[in-house]
Amino acid sequence: MITKLEERITRPVPTAPERKPGGDGDGPAKPNVDRPDSSDLLKRMKRVDPDAARRYRQRSGQ
Amino acid sequence: MTCVGRDAAAASLDVTNFGAESIQVRAEHNRLLHTSPSRGTLLSIMARLFGIETEYGIAVEGKGAGDLIQESIALVRSYRGRFADRWNYRGEDSRRDMRGFTVERLSTNPDDAQFDLAGTPKMGHAEERSDRVLPNGARLYNDHGHPEYATPECCTLQDLVAHDRAGERILLECAERRAEEIKGEVHLYKNNTDYHGASYGTHECYLMNREAPTDTLIRALAPFLATRQIFAGAGKVGVEVDRRPEVGFQLSQRADFMSVVASVDTLHNRPLVNTRDEPHASPTKYRRLHVIAGDANMSEWATAMKVGTTELTVRLIEDGFCPKVYPKDPVALAKSVSREPSLGGCIEVEGGQRLSAIELQRVYAAEARVRLAGSSADADWTLDEWDRVLDDLETDWTLVADRVDWAAKRMLLEQFMKAESLTWQSPMMQSLDLAYHDIDPSAGLYYGLEQSGGMRRIVTDEAVASARTCPPQNTRAFLRGLFVRQFAEEIHSVGWNGISFRYEGEDWLFDMNPLVGEDVAALNEKFAGVETLADAVRVIRSRRAQASPA
Repeated sequence: MITKLEERITRPVPTAPERKPGGDGDGPAKPNVDRPDSSDLLKRMKRVDPDAARRYRQRSGQ
Repeated sequence: MTCVGRDAAAASLDVTNFGAESIQVRAEHNRLLHTSPSRGTLLSIMARLFGIETEYGIAVEGKGAGDLIQESIALVRSYRGRFADRWNYRGEDSRRDMRGFTVERLSTNPDDAQFDLAGTPKMGHAEERSDRVLPNGARLYNDHGHPEYATPECCTLQDLVAHDRAGERILLECAERRAEEIKGEVHLYKNNTDYHGASYGTHECYLMNREAPTDTLIRALAPFLATRQIFAGAGKVGVEVDRRPEVGFQLSQRADFMSVVASVDTLHNRPLVNTRDEPHASPTKYRRLHVIAGDANMSEWATAMKVGTTELTVRLIEDGFCPKVYPKDPVALAKSVSREPSLGGCIEVEGGQRLSAIELQRVYAAEARVRLAGSSADADWTLDEWDRVLDDLETDWTLVADRVDWAAKRMLLEQFMKAESLTWQSPMMQSLDLAYHDIDPSAGLYYGLEQSGGMRRIVTDEAVASARTCPPQNTRAFLRGLFVRQFAEEIHSVGWNGISFRYEGEDWLFDMNPLVGEDVAALNEKFAGVETLADAVRVIRSRRAQASPA
């Protein structure tokens, strides 16, 4: 299952049409981004406190 | 100070009570919209102003919900950059309804009374809000126990996404500083629920033509907003209203909290279409569509599409479009779509026709393509992505897990759930849901996905870093940011539509109500070179003389 998770997080991302980067009015672009190995995602999930949501109380906002 | 009356003939300001000269910048307005005679279609010649206001969830080690107003205030006050600290509420009245009346009071959630600590001294409004108007034109403050970040006005999707993410970074720094102060943990969540029935908002604002009839606006928007969640929903584990334990995962954080189709309320009895009438611009020409039905998005693509598709829908409405299909109960529809993650549900519309949420979205997408294709780069990008995401959702929801928050979250959580032999009802699942929205890149699950390359980006990290201090160059936010950056000591108060300041021993008001057109970019260029307040006043005066020759 760990392998499956890693497959999920490392699978290729569909690419958007090439556009010029920056806010020059050409619509959102897909910039070049670094893709570090993030195999720690599962570890990150396991570090989550199972009681975090139970304790999490907020005032109503808008 | 006298506010601009809603029926005023022009965006001029009565400053009689202000006791000083007024600076009135009269921008030469283009018509907001026009109809092309050759195509019979609407073209926008104004880059529409839009923005996002996000109320963040806050968790402080050792503190409960009763402490959150104080904690939110402390967090906002830990901001260390340059700022102006007084908000100008000129023209703001959240009780005013665009349907032509003003309510006596807004509804509040009675459950919040349990968090009001006995003996806590009442604070003044300004003290409780703790406003910070930032050099990038944004507003940071405490709103009902939530740190809120309102982006500056933007007119491109890239700018908006960059500023929305810049807000996360600014809030994260505040949280880290506060954590150091208290020697404890402080977490901020960009989400909309506490899983116990309390919701807080992520609102979108769209400046729009006031001529659009209110009833058309409501009728055309309600079905769109009820179904937009299929690509803009952030996903949620569990149900908080009308609890049905068989619903493990739903598309939207916010759908549970929608109660009526249209209302001016925001804190309780929330509507799909919020009818608050606060234009933050000339009230005779504009209204500000204040969307409160949406989710906070972690995905940049989802943020851009949420706003891009809604902006196109607003343009359709301004052009007189109203879909022929209208759900029998839009509020029930919002909930049922959210609770049917298979997207297989059918919507019964007036007249007996039945269609899916995807098909209903296609009604808007198809009309937008006919009328608005080619009108702007953002419109074309949005139209293409709209079609693509609906096609993908129709094929297999996992295809959109690289850009749609609910799908990314669901895929991640389902895999963990199976690996760990859990169920949706396991407490861990809601905690993982919460962790998806943690804005700390070293801990948040969304950020884990993004760092792995699993989520589509819309802007670069450099653009986000720039947005932390630089306002958009082509909206009036540039002027707000400039005044904060260079003349903060002289500022009395700053608002969306004006800046009051002290100059040569007198109180002045820079009326920015008219500054919502395309010519603002040219004005901003003139301001870019000013070094002193006298320079700024000179530019304003020359602009006034140019716009209003004797």
